[in-house]
Amino acid sequence: MTRAERIRALGLLAPAYLWLTVAVFLPLSAMAFFSLLTEVPFGEREWSFTIANYTEVFGNPVYATLLWKSLKLGFWVTFWCLVLGFPCAWILARMLKGRSREVLFLLVILPFWSNALVRIFSWAIVLRGNGVLDRAVNAVLPWDVNINLMFSEPAIIIGLVHSYLPYVILTTYLSLQAIDETLIEAARSLGARWPRILWRLVLPLALPGLIAGAVLVFVPVVGSFMEPRLLGGRFGTTYGTLIEDQFVAVFNWPLGAALSFILLAVVLVILAAASPALRKAAT
Amino acid sequence: MTEVRVEGLTKAYGPAKALDEVTLTFPDGGFFGLLGPSGSGKTTLLRAIAGFVTPDTGRIWLGDQAVERVPVEDREIGMVFQSYALFPNMTVAENVAFGLEVRRIPGPDRTRRVVEALDLVQLGGYGGRKPSELSGGQRQRVAMARAIVTRPRVLLLDEPLSALDRALRVDMQIELKRIQREVGITTIFVTHDQEEALTLSDRIGILRDGRLVREGTPRAVYDDPQDAFTARFLGEANVLTGLPEAGGLRLADGTLLPGVTTPAIALRPEALAFAVPPPDTPHRLQARLAQRIFSGATGTLVLDWQGQRLKLTASERDLLDLPAEGSPLWLHWPAAAALALRDAG
Amino acid sequence: MIVVARAYLGLILVFLYAPIIVMGVMSLNASEFYALPFDFSTEWYERLFANEEVLAASWRSVWIALVVATVATTLGTMASLALWRHDFPGKRILQALLFPPIAVPWLIIGTAMLVFFFGIGLGRGTPAVVLGHVALALPYVIITVTARMQSFDRALDEAARSLGARSWTVARKVILPYASPGIIAGWLFAFAVSFDQFVVSYFLAEPGDSTLPVLIYTAIRKGFTPEINAIATIIIAVSMTLMIVAARFARFGGTR
Repeated sequence: MTRAERIRALGLLAPAYLWLTVAVFLPLSAMAFFSLLTEVPFGEREWSFTIANYTEVFGNPVYATLLWKSLKLGFWVTFWCLVLGFPCAWILARMLKGRSREVLFLLVILPFWSNALVRIFSWAIVLRGNGVLDRAVNAVLPWDVNINLMFSEPAIIIGLVHSYLPYVILTTYLSLQAIDETLIEAARSLGARWPRILWRLVLPLALPGLIAGAVLVFVPVVGSFMEPRLLGGRFGTTYGTLIEDQFVAVFNWPLGAALSFILLAVVLVILAAASPALRKAAT
Repeated sequence: MTEVRVEGLTKAYGPAKALDEVTLTFPDGGFFGLLGPSGSGKTTLLRAIAGFVTPDTGRIWLGDQAVERVPVEDREIGMVFQSYALFPNMTVAENVAFGLEVRRIPGPDRTRRVVEALDLVQLGGYGGRKPSELSGGQRQRVAMARAIVTRPRVLLLDEPLSALDRALRVDMQIELKRIQREVGITTIFVTHDQEEALTLSDRIGILRDGRLVREGTPRAVYDDPQDAFTARFLGEANVLTGLPEAGGLRLADGTLLPGVTTPAIALRPEALAFAVPPPDTPHRLQARLAQRIFSGATGTLVLDWQGQRLKLTASERDLLDLPAEGSPLWLHWPAAAALALRDAG
Repeated sequence: MIVVARAYLGLILVFLYAPIIVMGVMSLNASEFYALPFDFSTEWYERLFANEEVLAASWRSVWIALVVATVATTLGTMASLALWRHDFPGKRILQALLFPPIAVPWLIIGTAMLVFFFGIGLGRGTPAVVLGHVALALPYVIITVTARMQSFDRALDEAARSLGARSWTVARKVILPYASPGIIAGWLFAFAVSFDQFVVSYFLAEPGDSTLPVLIYTAIRKGFTPEINAIATIIIAVSMTLMIVAARFARFGGTR
């Protein structure tokens, strides 16, 4: 690359990356700094360095319990997304062709690109007691049942699965589509039936895509707060809502920063562990 | 062992017929080459025998079992794909063992048979490698070992050598033939390369537009193509057409070829000879030398006769005393070299 | 087999769309408590359009999204063309840096932005929201445009240069026209990221000066009314339409 080209490349790249630095990378670093303060360093307030925020988080089992709850939530949402999404991706990638595949694929993916908050809100209408689901089921069944899923853990899981299912279908679809059809034909010619083909061939080959999809669901779910808040009610206290409270209700920013930073560390560990699979899925 | 037979096999994709009433017997233990231009239905026929294509009508027999309704996985076939289709997530040994695993062959027996199969294709010691670490020729051998290790009733090869470069292909042809002789499994293979078909096959079948045009031993078909398509497709042929008369075939320039009763004949380029003075035979033509092509051990003369291009090939040392390009030249041939054709193509 | 497959796909689609459709239908039901039988009424939409606060937030959301999409698309297109055209040490790192804004939960990014923007004296408010949204939208634009350029035949670039065209002329006459479907799709994605963005806006918007999703969140927490149904239905209709349009442009590798 000549000198002139280097300058031109730099000129083209600098604005975007400066922006990302100011708005993402510096804030993430600043948060680490904040989490070590006694008080936010604005105005006239007195502040000093401390690790009290971290001793508080690690000393009080409530925080660990909530983090564990969020991790469990992430696990179950990811699990259901994979279980429901894999067959769907399989059908789209392997059983449908041409126009009908294109249309159905768009229909499945479309909700992912629409407003998440609004979609969660729509579940609130469906799930609440005397809501649409309740009445629909009671209209069909001869006996009376009271379905009130609202403000429960299942409600949170349903809402989050609804939010992230399209994403899992997308990543799984891409990895399934990359599997050469003749490999499956070869396995069949050797006498293998579907369960074995799935287990020995399709799953191992699709695994990087599945892991990528799983991680990209798990990570944001662990950090979710709006969905538990709206669908979980008093069951909806999670690690995410705890952080939210520190910033909008309790105004203990240093503690909030420490909590955020611990979550970031957890996220980074997960991303790092999955990075070979993520890289493989990206190519 | 197993004789394979198809009867009245027809498969249509919309209005186009990929297979049209194909009836053919593949002899037990033989090496059968299916040959034809692209779109002739040869691959469809192979995939129908494998079970990937369900025929609209007709029967497929593997030995004395009719298999049209039997799914691929129950047909006990071995197949080698054009792309080899080796499982990238498994080692060479695991690839070869896959069919045995499916058949629940116990461990020690399985290992022994995998080793035998890899030895047979001269890849002993490669079992631990991944397919991505092998060369094209080696992958081809693994695919072959994987297909035969289950002792299938029939071995189906879909253009097995087309992904290899030319020099390797010739080696692999010899290798393929050796392996097939050793295991003795009925083998059907598809190719668009006529030389490959002639080299490998005990018998060949030529398909065109979904129909079987000819079937027989390579020599029989080559020496007696019977129609212009077969003559041109299998080897090269100069096709001469004219009007049959009582005394023979009258060509456009007035030449009468005695003894010919069909409307056309084919002359193989290597069967032709040339002379400057008129030769003493009625089986001759006067043409004009258009071009001389050197291609190593053999040379080719391109001649112009009545606006038609004719080809003559001969050993280079027989092409030394040539007149200048553009000069008139006599072509002649032994009477038996004129291959009777029932049509002009 | 195919029947079972279609039925399964149908069930998934019901799961994905039923709540949205129910919400849309209920926004046209006169009863405040979603009572049946359904009684058609546009009352909630009328109330909505009389609600100054909702109108102001809607308008703010739209123009923030317009600004964000335009800025992010400009900067993102520049960066992706540089990444596409040049090879230099550190390029892989630059590409890897695009993933944190996508992969790190917005909650963490949003709170970090809040803390940092206060630290540098910017504080909350619309400038902070725009700053944050652009950063979130940039990776999507870069990825979309880069994906489009992947199918570009580099020989075209070289051919144009061999004909004596200057770099800038090549960019304007050859590369940009080719990239344009990707750029348009990137713009639409960026618009959607901003318009639908709740988490980051929630932490960065000034109370009383909030964007539409933040307003809705606050309203729901106070107890929901069919008015929210109405505005939510409008939002989902807008964002889905945008995405259908974007999907048509983002047919990567296609010839459109």
